[in-house]
Amino acid sequence: MNPRLRHLLLAWELLLALLAIEFGASFLALDRAARPLVLVPAALMVAVVSVAFMDIRRGPETIRLCAAAGLLWLCILLGLGSLDPMTRVIHHVRTTNIK
Amino acid sequence: MSEVSSTQEFQYSSPRHQAETAISGMWLFLATEMLFFGPLFLAWIYSRHWNQQGFDAGARQTEVIVGTVNTVVLVTSSLIYSMGVTFIEGGGTRRLIQCCIGAWLLGLMFLLLKFGIEWRHDFERRLFPGSDFAIDGPLRDGARLFFVFYFLGTAVHGLHMLVGLILVGWIILRARRNEFSSSYYTPVIAVGLYWSFVDMVWIILYPLIYLVGRGA
Repeated sequence: MNPRLRHLLLAWELLLALLAIEFGASFLALDRAARPLVLVPAALMVAVVSVAFMDIRRGPETIRLCAAAGLLWLCILLGLGSLDPMTRVIHHVRTTNIK
Repeated sequence: MSEVSSTQEFQYSSPRHQAETAISGMWLFLATEMLFFGPLFLAWIYSRHWNQQGFDAGARQTEVIVGTVNTVVLVTSSLIYSMGVTFIEGGGTRRLIQCCIGAWLLGLMFLLLKFGIEWRHDFERRLFPGSDFAIDGPLRDGARLFFVFYFLGTAVHGLHMLVGLILVGWIILRARRNEFSSSYYTPVIAVGLYWSFVDMVWIILYPLIYLVGRGA
């Protein structure tokens, strides 16, 4: 078999394995705040797709530059946008009836 | 990226330069697409943070089996399209057409499962976040926010899938007219990048919709 086809099939098997891990991990009794850890296999799957199917390692440097720039600005968007909900402390104020 | 264009426009120094510029342009477009989907993911972070219980209660109403099957379908579709790119690198136009048809059919299957079955069940179970929303009680607002995210996210992704189907269909038509060969197949690569990117977006949406809230 063509080595490139074999490489693609291996990547597909890896993707299915990661999907199975992700699916299984979703049934673990994790704390509500820790549940986004289920996204770790998804991040690995994105990396596999970009390397195997999108061939990010081949071609001119500009494609890696564009991908890195997109990822950087996405991190800035999500990071800055998450700052408020992650750092704000809600102080509950007791209400009293003023007579 | 070893192919050489049969026609070279005047502004490029070589056919290779032309092909590399086209692929770089596609990657630049995909970088803007990442930022297009970014606010959707931010909305998920923000909404779930302030309404964890209700948001997760909404997530538990989703049809995880359909979502998982759709993930396998889309990943397989990307694999088949990538195999087509490999075949045309060796000049196999007939194999390219077969792979594109396979990828196209799997893409269509995704849309039918998502909008023909899953969305229909969601509407029947009154999960659309309107005045008739099915979930009552203290979790109602959080669950409603989840379904706003769900319907918006899947609709925007579905529109991208539709554009992808049109593009893959265009590649099939051009390949049938023998417009691609081992020396020119830049459009095949560019459409493949878009198709895999749409797959990538679903790979992120899948756990956000179906998995994170499921065991909570």
